[in-house]
Amino acid sequence: MESSDWELVQKCQAGEIGAFQELVSRYHQKIYVVIVGLLRNREDALEVAQETFFRAYRKIKSFQGGSSFYTWLYRIAVNMAIDSQRRQKRNPLEFRETMDGLFEEQNEVARDPFSDVHDRELREKLVASINDLTPEHKAVIILRTVEGLSYKDIGEILGCSEGTVMSRLHYARKKLQEKLGAFL
Amino acid sequence: MSLLGRILKRALLFSCLICLAGAYSVNAAENNSQTVRVKIGTILANNQSDEIDPKLNTMKNQLKVMKYRSYRLLKEETQNVAWQGNAVFEIPGGRSLTVTPQEFRNKQLALKVRLQHGDKPVVDTTVRMNNGGNFLLGGPPHEGGALVLSISATVQ
Amino acid sequence: MRDCKLIRESLSGWLDGQLGTSDAEIIRLHLESCASCDGERRQLEKLQSSLKSLLVSNVPRIAFEPFWAGVRERITKKRSWHEEIMEWARSTFAAPGLAWTVPAVIVVLLGVFALDSFWKLGSQRNNFAAVESIDAHGRNVALLREDETKTTVIWLYQNQEGEDESSGENTETSPSF
Repeated sequence: MESSDWELVQKCQAGEIGAFQELVSRYHQKIYVVIVGLLRNREDALEVAQETFFRAYRKIKSFQGGSSFYTWLYRIAVNMAIDSQRRQKRNPLEFRETMDGLFEEQNEVARDPFSDVHDRELREKLVASINDLTPEHKAVIILRTVEGLSYKDIGEILGCSEGTVMSRLHYARKKLQEKLGAFL
Repeated sequence: MSLLGRILKRALLFSCLICLAGAYSVNAAENNSQTVRVKIGTILANNQSDEIDPKLNTMKNQLKVMKYRSYRLLKEETQNVAWQGNAVFEIPGGRSLTVTPQEFRNKQLALKVRLQHGDKPVVDTTVRMNNGGNFLLGGPPHEGGALVLSISATVQ
Repeated sequence: MRDCKLIRESLSGWLDGQLGTSDAEIIRLHLESCASCDGERRQLEKLQSSLKSLLVSNVPRIAFEPFWAGVRERITKKRSWHEEIMEWARSTFAAPGLAWTVPAVIVVLLGVFALDSFWKLGSQRNNFAAVESIDAHGRNVALLREDETKTTVIWLYQNQEGEDESSGENTETSPSF
């Protein structure tokens, strides 16, 4: 039977790096997707994602189990992404950058949902509009859209109330709607 | 920027602002002040009673070094004087006190003080003191006791 | 119209399934009868779907082994002492609110020192005055310092031999110091 996150955490706290590896395998893609959404740059996102797990490993002994492991992990990831974003000097690069050996299915030609011109323009405008949001507003959009996390979980991750999550989401979506206008 | 970097940056910014404000205020005082307010309190010290004038309450500790039993404020006078200018105060017993502010440096005032009896000099002294502070010049006899002059100066 | 404003503010929560049953029912019923709010709902749904396509569908999968290799390298790498200190400081000042606490403490401390100096000046607790030069024109003079307030006292003794400036006045002898 598969071990729960908490069981794996306890094994990590006892020094079993194999347990931590298991946790990384469970969450590395999810964390990466969230960070890409926040940073809009795959190279940086990969770096920050690896750094997130490293930071989690260093702090694993302080994790008491008061929240779920994944909300704790997401909190580290979001904070690191926001910090990285503030340090970033360059603009978001185009979405299609890849890194050798790290991205699977490179040769597979996936159907681009933004294939026609109108949708491509919508995508470009979406990217620009998301980047105009503050890090806190971007984080709620990403966590809700990408992971479908509950307001309660998002609140735990961002250290705010559910009411604040709802109002940030409302504000962020309203802003995106205003900027996207006729495209929607 | 990392959280620590943000903390340090904000701390540095605040500290710089405080230092600049402080330096500016000191500089402003040192470089741009036009006048000095000189205040002279003329006090009669004797042993004829055990009373200390209530108006001298704030100076009690200063006066006790002279070990008189009674102190009475005869008069208080304030004048604004320009740097290197002379502020002349009439002192009981036919005396006069001339105070000339010399300079203000490192938050300290230098004053040249002359006490004379009629047109005869009694004492000439140059004293460096804190801005707003005071010193006492005493000894000239008066009405069975001695005069004590409290000399204070504040840069305006 | 007021209702529509409130409904629209709650649409996000309704779409995300985060509202209570009764609130969700109120919104559902309103949307059935209000074309304008329903239009708003459709726009939000389209926005959500576009966001999901952008943020999820277009993100490639990352291979686990190389990713884990990168994490493991960080774990096993020996860090320099200043990196350890930065890490400690980062974890100590974890709460974002503390970013303002430190400079606020510095400002408060500076304020206390400034006030303390001001207070000392006002109460003459350190009433420093230095006599740079003195000419008593032949008289004896004493320089005294009062301990508590550090007040400087210049005391002029009466002239014994020369002119008697106290003539006509009933004088007492000099004070004891």
